[in-house]
Amino acid sequence: MKRRGRGIACMWYPIGFTVAANPSAATVKVNEDGTATLLTGTVETGQGALTVLGQIAAEALGISTEDVHVVSGDTDTTPMDTGAIASRTTYVTGNAVRLAAEEACKILFDVAGPMLGVRPDQLEMRDRKIQVKNFPQRSLPLGEVAYHAQAVKGRPAIGSATWNPPTVPMDPETGQGKPFNTYVYATQIAEVDVDDETGEVEVIRIAAAHDCGTAINPMLVEGQIEGGIAMGIGLALQEEILFDSQGRQINPNLTNYIMPTSLDMPAIEVDIVDSYDPTGPFGAKGVGEPTSVPTAAAILNAIHDAVGVRITSLPATAEKVLAAIKAGPGREMKQLTAA
Amino acid sequence: MTVDTKLETPVDTQTMEQAVLEPATLRLPAVIPPVPFPIETLVPDSRQQTPAVGQRATRSDGRLHGLGQTKYIDDIVLPGMLYARIKRAGVASARIVRVDTSAAEAMPGVMAVLTGREIPVNSFGPSFQDQPVLADERVFHAGDGVAAVAAVTEQIAIEALEKIKVEYEPLPAVFDPVEAMKESAPKVHPPNSNIYATKVVKRGDLDRGFAESAHVFERQFRTQMVEHVPLEPHATLAEWDANGRVTLWTTLGRITLGRTDIARTLKMPVNRIRVVGTIVGGNFGGKNEITQEPVLALLSKKTGRPVKGVFSRREEFISSTTRHPFVMDYKTGVDKEGKIIARKVRLVLDGGAYCSWSETTLGKACILAPGPYNIDNVHVEAFVVYTNKTMTGAMRGFGAPQVCFAYESHMDDIAAALGIDPLEIRLRNVFDEGSISPTGQVLHSVVVRDSLLTAAERFGWREGRP
Amino acid sequence: MSSISMRVNGEMRTATVAPETTLLRFLREQLNLTGAKVGCDVGDCGACTVIVDGMAVNACLMLADQADGRDVLTIEGLATRDQLHPLQQAFEIHAALQCGFCGPGVIMSAKALLDETPDPTVQEINDALAGNLCRCTGYTKMVAAIQDVARSRGAGTVKLPAPGNIGRA
Repeated sequence: MKRRGRGIACMWYPIGFTVAANPSAATVKVNEDGTATLLTGTVETGQGALTVLGQIAAEALGISTEDVHVVSGDTDTTPMDTGAIASRTTYVTGNAVRLAAEEACKILFDVAGPMLGVRPDQLEMRDRKIQVKNFPQRSLPLGEVAYHAQAVKGRPAIGSATWNPPTVPMDPETGQGKPFNTYVYATQIAEVDVDDETGEVEVIRIAAAHDCGTAINPMLVEGQIEGGIAMGIGLALQEEILFDSQGRQINPNLTNYIMPTSLDMPAIEVDIVDSYDPTGPFGAKGVGEPTSVPTAAAILNAIHDAVGVRITSLPATAEKVLAAIKAGPGREMKQLTAA
Repeated sequence: MTVDTKLETPVDTQTMEQAVLEPATLRLPAVIPPVPFPIETLVPDSRQQTPAVGQRATRSDGRLHGLGQTKYIDDIVLPGMLYARIKRAGVASARIVRVDTSAAEAMPGVMAVLTGREIPVNSFGPSFQDQPVLADERVFHAGDGVAAVAAVTEQIAIEALEKIKVEYEPLPAVFDPVEAMKESAPKVHPPNSNIYATKVVKRGDLDRGFAESAHVFERQFRTQMVEHVPLEPHATLAEWDANGRVTLWTTLGRITLGRTDIARTLKMPVNRIRVVGTIVGGNFGGKNEITQEPVLALLSKKTGRPVKGVFSRREEFISSTTRHPFVMDYKTGVDKEGKIIARKVRLVLDGGAYCSWSETTLGKACILAPGPYNIDNVHVEAFVVYTNKTMTGAMRGFGAPQVCFAYESHMDDIAAALGIDPLEIRLRNVFDEGSISPTGQVLHSVVVRDSLLTAAERFGWREGRP
Repeated sequence: MSSISMRVNGEMRTATVAPETTLLRFLREQLNLTGAKVGCDVGDCGACTVIVDGMAVNACLMLADQADGRDVLTIEGLATRDQLHPLQQAFEIHAALQCGFCGPGVIMSAKALLDETPDPTVQEINDALAGNLCRCTGYTKMVAAIQDVARSRGAGTVKLPAPGNIGRA
């Protein structure tokens, strides 16, 4: 008989490296027509980093995502970056991009000030224009200023910057310190059906509420959450590298190493929690890794809720769940997996 | 013949025979009739909107992905390119007595063979350099590479690996992390201890905290070894030019630091190495350190031709990093209302054969292990140990999914024992703005309570059971 | 070596191949059609999915010789010079692909499904994608994109949901 259960899990997760420096550099070039080119040393590994970094540059320059071309991932041409790791790209590289764009803005403001008859610090970039703050009637098209800066003043609008999150080393005895500059938070709630005759677990739906600071691109944030949940389901129920007694893997292939397919996916309901981190680019933190952190915990709690057994070792395979049901609730489970 | 008539009906009506007889009638490229039912999108193009932040902008690479036009490493072919394959040890712990490559080198089509002894500095690693590029004296786990071949076709390279004879002298091995911590256990990297990194986080007075607790709970949790399974396996294309510069197109998520590692192993100035990170077909932490890059660079140097190497799916499992298995002991003291007063955690991480990103995983797991909860008395100690298994490294979450499984399972244990709703017990304990983390950090932008309430609302938690 | 002829993306192609050459290697290495990917080479991952005589198949499991005289459609044959296939368009709008490596295979499986079943249920979509592994997306936005295309076929054209709703489950 199928028994339904629900389980909740929340988590916290840091952005960036643990104490260690993990800087990013960026260069933003505003072209003579007001479009821009961003140089970053990070690599697109599927998460949509280049789109998000382009949006950050565009925001700082008051232009659209499409107006920014992103060049990435070439050590001969792009500036230093610690890379696509530790959920750091939006936060750390994003801050470098924002600062680099602001450097380019400074040049444009210097040039535009006399053209508009105001001081450079009275200017702002918005909707592809350079305009006077609180007096938007007085403005110039960004392209016109950028052209003037390059072709008349001889000062092409190029900005470069670096950023590294500030940390405080941890005391070796007590671990006291500030290992990260910021953290994100999330909760996932899972609903499962457990077949108490086979031990099979089916995840029915997951509600996921994640904090990423400002969502620079909500669609890509959802994509991260949905993909992270899939990976979490694999960790919870299916995936395990097994070894023989000689230390050789038994199942190094996708026939016998079972990762989630479309048939294993529950309905996913995503919420992005309202949040703003003043230390991130336009309030953003990050979202890549934390999406797969609470999933297994929520599913395992839901299994406990459904059939009253606490599986203490992952993955909760059907065999393991069935053995636990047969052993009865409250019993300590033995580790069933190979070494 | 033309079953596929629903979307694209090729206009070409000639028969097969005609086509074979008259190759001149072939036309390229294909021009297929327009699709009859385009989606009429009324969505304003989010890529054109200002302000840019907050827009659901489509990905700049999304169209190319859908068209099959994104070029991954395996899709690139250079003139004269050779194919490389690496021979894997297949034994977990052994001394390499002899490597005989003569039969492989004699094969027609084999252009070069490389062994570990030919690598200028045969060690690398992000924290400490305990990993050989190709094992030369000793094998530490079954997925270690012991020799590499570059040949004119991939098939010849694979056949050549069979002809490389490696003589091993078996050495004692250890596979269980808890066993490996014992003094009597065989040392994976003698003379060093198997415990290669430790971390402690403590605040408050643990003994007093437990003494003041109304209830104390204890439980051990374990997790398994997991592979990243990026759909694109590790791949590298190397071209050593006549100026002594090498270009590597490779599936690395962190090219700048990868270049540092490559320069070190090749004993070359950094500016003679160009690393190009093409679009990577999935990373999840598994492509954050170098693997075969130095091998391919040297094979290209030896042959004067570009060399491409792509891991098989099997190599992806046995020779790249994986997620750390954890053994986690939790002991938690709470008051009558379920407020956590004291928590002791002991973590043992199975580090596999090499350190890789284990230090980072150890650090994050240790810091995060108490959970997002206000706990005055906390003590976490964490160890990562060598075993003769596939090395564990960075994987989405750096140990956080493992400790979250433990602290959240434990939380529900406590809630059940005290008869408190699982949502409610969390709301009584979670961080708020300005809470102090286990490392003494004042936290900002803390929205864990909001996330609990938002998810509970979305799920319908308070409405009761479905 | 054997001589084979097949129609690939509407074009007659003839070639001489070694008997062990798979359709996947033939497409990638001899025809330079690299859209179908080598993800596992043993039929587990679906990254090499192409359509042969209307059926989605793993090109790594089929010998080039077995495709002799057949009609092969690859991802390169879906779009015209000036128009994306609706699936390609919907996948782009939904950001249904992340790293993209599985994408060509997923889209070919989806096309084979829609050709047979113009208005599939979510379960039918999930069944059709079950042989296509994806590690990035959790399949969610792919399913939504395929549903959008199916709806647009039924109704002629369909208005996509407002931006805030695309991809929401």
